[in-house]
Amino acid sequence: MLTVRQFSGGRTARLALALSLIPALFAVIYLVRPWGITPNEFLVDLFRELVVPTLLPIVVLLPATAAFGNELEDGTLPYLLMKPVTRLRLAFGKYAAVLLVTVPALLVGVAAATLVASRGPDAEDLRRLFLAMAGASAAGAVLLGAVFLLVSLVVPRALLAGMIYIFAWESLLGRFLPGVQAVSSREYTLRVFNGLWDGDSAAASNAVMTMVVVAVVCLLLAVWRLRGIQIN
Amino acid sequence: MTKPFTQASSEPDSDGLPGLAPGEEAVIALRGVAKWYGEVVAVSDLTFGIGAGVTALLGPNGAGKSTILNMVSGLIAPSSGTVRVLDRPVRRDTMIYREIGLAGEQEQLYGSLTGREFVRLNAILQKTPDPDGAAENAIAIVDMASAAGRALGGYSKGMRQRIKVAAALVHDPRVLLLDEPLNGTDPVQRASLIALIRRLGNEGKSVVVSSHVLPEVERFARNVLVIVNGKLAAAGDFRTIRERMDERDHMVRVRCDDPRRLAAALVAEPITKSIRLSGDGRFVAETNDVRRFSLLVPEVAKREGIRLFEMQPVDESLASVFSYLVGK
Repeated sequence: MLTVRQFSGGRTARLALALSLIPALFAVIYLVRPWGITPNEFLVDLFRELVVPTLLPIVVLLPATAAFGNELEDGTLPYLLMKPVTRLRLAFGKYAAVLLVTVPALLVGVAAATLVASRGPDAEDLRRLFLAMAGASAAGAVLLGAVFLLVSLVVPRALLAGMIYIFAWESLLGRFLPGVQAVSSREYTLRVFNGLWDGDSAAASNAVMTMVVVAVVCLLLAVWRLRGIQIN
Repeated sequence: MTKPFTQASSEPDSDGLPGLAPGEEAVIALRGVAKWYGEVVAVSDLTFGIGAGVTALLGPNGAGKSTILNMVSGLIAPSSGTVRVLDRPVRRDTMIYREIGLAGEQEQLYGSLTGREFVRLNAILQKTPDPDGAAENAIAIVDMASAAGRALGGYSKGMRQRIKVAAALVHDPRVLLLDEPLNGTDPVQRASLIALIRRLGNEGKSVVVSSHVLPEVERFARNVLVIVNGKLAAAGDFRTIRERMDERDHMVRVRCDDPRRLAAALVAEPITKSIRLSGDGRFVAETNDVRRFSLLVPEVAKREGIRLFEMQPVDESLASVFSYLVGK
């Protein structure tokens, strides 16, 4: 709860929420000038090209790297480490706090964009589209939250490293190189979205399973790292 | 029980570890401990034990005191040797933290929490049966009840020190590690903390207090471990070590509203060897009897009608005293 409070009381949560609302801003622009496309087409493009490769990773990156990173930086981590609490519980507690902050922010952002775009011409079945985007966003947060939490424990400048990863790997290389796509969160988040949107629940489930396995592996590595960490 | 004075030694004597009285049980035991960072050796060749009561970890700044406390608290692993607390390896045994409380040297606290919330949080994480009651009790012990509702971000350094001590003892640990706890405290807070440290020691807890201020240590600890350049220089009864240290000349920095007149009055005293004016309301005096000198300065200042603001040993001088001790 301490971490949630640190996030919710600080700029991290506000920034995460502000970034999550950017799609709603695009939706307002769309309403003013609809470019001759339906709200569904607009929202699908927005989600695939902006939310998944860029916004979602950044929204998760901020709290996930701050969860341990801030305490490592300001020297308050001993207050957590010097307690009769297993490192497993510590890592999962921080992870839960990251999800408690990011998932609602992402859902609010997607819901706001859907609500605004629904006022456009020829909107249909937006509820199902919203659920597909919301499910994929949550799955993406589950995966990236664990990845960035681990990064914050092993890389000194985790936020910078995360930004480089997002813009170089997910947003740029992930679009063009098939090899990179196979190991990018963007690809698996889109598989969940496509599965839910097209009604292919098997494809969505497979992608979610892979994401959960990777997340668990990252969390176990974070626990291992916490066991060996040295604070001087 | 008076502990034997042990000159720097890496080997345990026949009765046990250096720092322990014959037959005394070690609550904290370091054997052959060294810690290095690349080419830099922080501490080396440390073998000593700490029993019940107050033990001061005395040494100049940078001597390795914090490194030792961090190893005892399990925050860092020794590069070689073993560190055991209550006969258990402190690293990788998180349950040992039920018995350890640390008020470390870090300045930063959770600024958005109030003092009460911070102490209560520690009580909850320590799984104390009544976190609210334990927190209030610890806050009262360090005399912070009136400020406990304020955010930590607005605390003075002395208040932060006291709330850190409250958080460290909220779960009533058997081992209390305090890293320079008197830094930044005013005289009233200092006296209160010293009384608390002595009381906890008398209750049978193992209280380890690091300090680089010799006169401060004298007020709360009889047993000392002197650390110089990362090595154990001496261990045992404070008075024996003190006598050896007092054989050396000391430098004392004095600040007052009329340094020239006070310096002139002091230089006439036989225990004053020299005085150097620094031109900013301060002077540094060299004395061959620092204990008498510390009583003499306020006495002369009062007699001459001079306001005395500050009097403290010069750290380099203290370091040279420690070096002198190592060389003995």
